[in-house]
Amino acid sequence: MNCRECVEHLYEFLDRELTPDLEREIRAHLEDCPPCGEQFDFEELYLRFLRARCRTQGAPADLKRRVLRELFGE
Amino acid sequence: MGTAKSPDMSPPVDEKRASFEREALVHLDVLYRVGLRLTGNPADADDLVQETMLKAYRAWDQYEKGTNARAWLLTILRHAFINEYRRRTRHPETVDVDTIEPYAVFSEVQDEDPQGAFFDRIVDDEVLRAIDGLPEAFRETLVLSDVEGLSYQEIAGILEVPVGTVKSRLFRARHLLQKKLYEYAVEMGYIKGSPA
Repeated sequence: MNCRECVEHLYEFLDRELTPDLEREIRAHLEDCPPCGEQFDFEELYLRFLRARCRTQGAPADLKRRVLRELFGE
Repeated sequence: MGTAKSPDMSPPVDEKRASFEREALVHLDVLYRVGLRLTGNPADADDLVQETMLKAYRAWDQYEKGTNARAWLLTILRHAFINEYRRRTRHPETVDVDTIEPYAVFSEVQDEDPQGAFFDRIVDDEVLRAIDGLPEAFRETLVLSDVEGLSYQEIAGILEVPVGTVKSRLFRARHLLQKKLYEYAVEMGYIKGSPA
């Protein structure tokens, strides 16, 4: 596997959407290729950052009460 | 007709309520977050989620218990959004999202900040604002994947597009958002960078 093929699968790899065979091939390439490894690490950190920033907010307590009242008359 | 047992297939009300609470109501946070990103404001998100829950409860007998309530609920939410909210809350898309070229921030920062430390200085509100500025087709794909962690297959089912489209939109959405955040970080002096 060359660098271009490896990077083409970057997000599928990080999203764990690849077949086990392809995932193994990518892992092997990343071990031998520090530049690709750096790029994968960067994108992985970016996705982790997004998730951390966007999941702090949940439904307001009032909304849950409203839904329960509407559904079950509480 | 007796009252002790249901003559048809529908479960007793208590059972219906218990299974709905167990499988559907637990996803209220997910529905709210996705609703908020779709509508763009808390009041509409509240209404959209409430309506979704009502529709879901009415259709609860049709949902196959123990399968994938989160994806089922998100499909209902998205239909409700398209039918009743999109027209008045957001303008229709004017760009063809599938032609937007990806842009790799990594190549810009690999010498100065290959670990992407500049991301850490960007606060929640700024990230959410950047997401809200994405074209709708990108925004919904990115939120389902990167905020809520759904699989490509689940997202394809909810958005009613092929898995290949999910992949390509996700790729472009992530890069477009990354570019916005990078430009913001440069503007704020979090990273020296080069003009994008």
